[in-house]
Amino acid sequence: MSIMQYNGGSVIAMVGKDCVAIASDLRLGSQALGISSNFQRVFPITDRIYLGLPGLATDVTTLRERFRLRVNMYTIKEEREIEPEAFAHLVSSTLYEHRFGPYFIEPVIAGLSKTPTGGIKPFIAATDLIGCINFAKDFVVAGTASAKLFGVAEGLWEPDMEAEDLFETISQTLLNAVDRDAFSGWGAVVHVITKDKVITRKLKARMD
Amino acid sequence: MPDTLSLSQSQPQQHAFNPYTENGGTILAIAGADFSVIAGDTRQSEGYNIQTRYAPKVFRLTDKAVLAVNGFAADGNMFVKKVRQRLEWYRHAHAKDMPIRAIARLIQTMLYSRRFFPYYVYNILGGIEEDGTGAVYSFDPVGSYEREACRAAGAAQSLVQPFLDNQIYFKNQTPAPGTSFPRHLPLSTVLSLVIDSFTSATERHIEVGDGLEIYVVLAKNSPSIQGLRDVRGVSELTSTDDGERVFVVRRELKKD
Repeated sequence: MSIMQYNGGSVIAMVGKDCVAIASDLRLGSQALGISSNFQRVFPITDRIYLGLPGLATDVTTLRERFRLRVNMYTIKEEREIEPEAFAHLVSSTLYEHRFGPYFIEPVIAGLSKTPTGGIKPFIAATDLIGCINFAKDFVVAGTASAKLFGVAEGLWEPDMEAEDLFETISQTLLNAVDRDAFSGWGAVVHVITKDKVITRKLKARMD
Repeated sequence: MPDTLSLSQSQPQQHAFNPYTENGGTILAIAGADFSVIAGDTRQSEGYNIQTRYAPKVFRLTDKAVLAVNGFAADGNMFVKKVRQRLEWYRHAHAKDMPIRAIARLIQTMLYSRRFFPYYVYNILGGIEEDGTGAVYSFDPVGSYEREACRAAGAAQSLVQPFLDNQIYFKNQTPAPGTSFPRHLPLSTVLSLVIDSFTSATERHIEVGDGLEIYVVLAKNSPSIQGLRDVRGVSELTSTDDGERVFVVRRELKKD
């Protein structure tokens, strides 16, 4: 079994109309053995950017701290908050620095970026474990349930959903995907990022 | 050169023959109250090569039973041939078609008889039970089987099955207060779900695509025939209208 599947866990992000959502399960395992049902792997980077880190749990902790440092350095040097596009490239180059001894994480980024006219634009991206970025227009998935997430999301997602519809869609996609994955599940958390607030909800999920 | 010569003479070379291949593709079946829908894509591949864009995986066995086979195509075709032979013997002995639950048990014994050199095939049997209800039976390669309301198998099983859990069994959904979810869906809904499942699988899985064949088996005098008539690309396979009836819907899927 690959090191990417050792701890289990999955993350998905979706684009809506002037909003984005990112969701993850809460399982931490050691192969088939469940260790924790409250393992957070989605973190706020700024008020408008969230980062999901599915993969090897030890690297979740390491990378979270590493990105905290680098985002703080960026904020100090640039004297402004980082934009999602720039953050995606920061993630990418951080991972590629370890091209031949990588962190076993496939990050998922969701955020709202500012447009030159003062509006906002939904942004999602995912990378592989060495930082190759996938800028998708609809949804991105990663983790042990990625195949299942792809299948359900492809069936449920539609363009320009409002925040409430997007929440329902990403929640249904995640729950039904992780219920068919032995290494994901044990609870779930969803963040919906809109123009003026972030809605975070814990989902009632199957605990088997 | 003398070195390599003596080496090749002294070292015995062993060659292993692998009798199995995986030929991709996906199959799917859903049972309704008085009908059954059995579908499969028509792409046949070996690794990254497409061998053909039209190789059927779904076969009409009788007027009330349809079998879908997925996995190793050579084994699948041979297995269907052998099942059909057994069904013909049954007709000669009993002057009637074998009931679907008997076909299911027959398939189990046929698969298990090859327990130590299995047919590398996942089978899904769909059709109409003797009591007129829609049935789906799914098998593993050595004959474990179960009757259920819906099942996906093959290359895109992991993409399609959780979607079906959500849309057929209404998993992770709660009905509005005072209402309940239907136990069986109408034919039009089932057909839409099947088409959506395969277009989704085609979009995200390289081994799925090219063509889609959806078999519909209707129980005797089923009212579901209304609405099936004006489905695009439908044709009837049965010649009589006094028993169960079999239809096939053929659609294109993306070829990339």
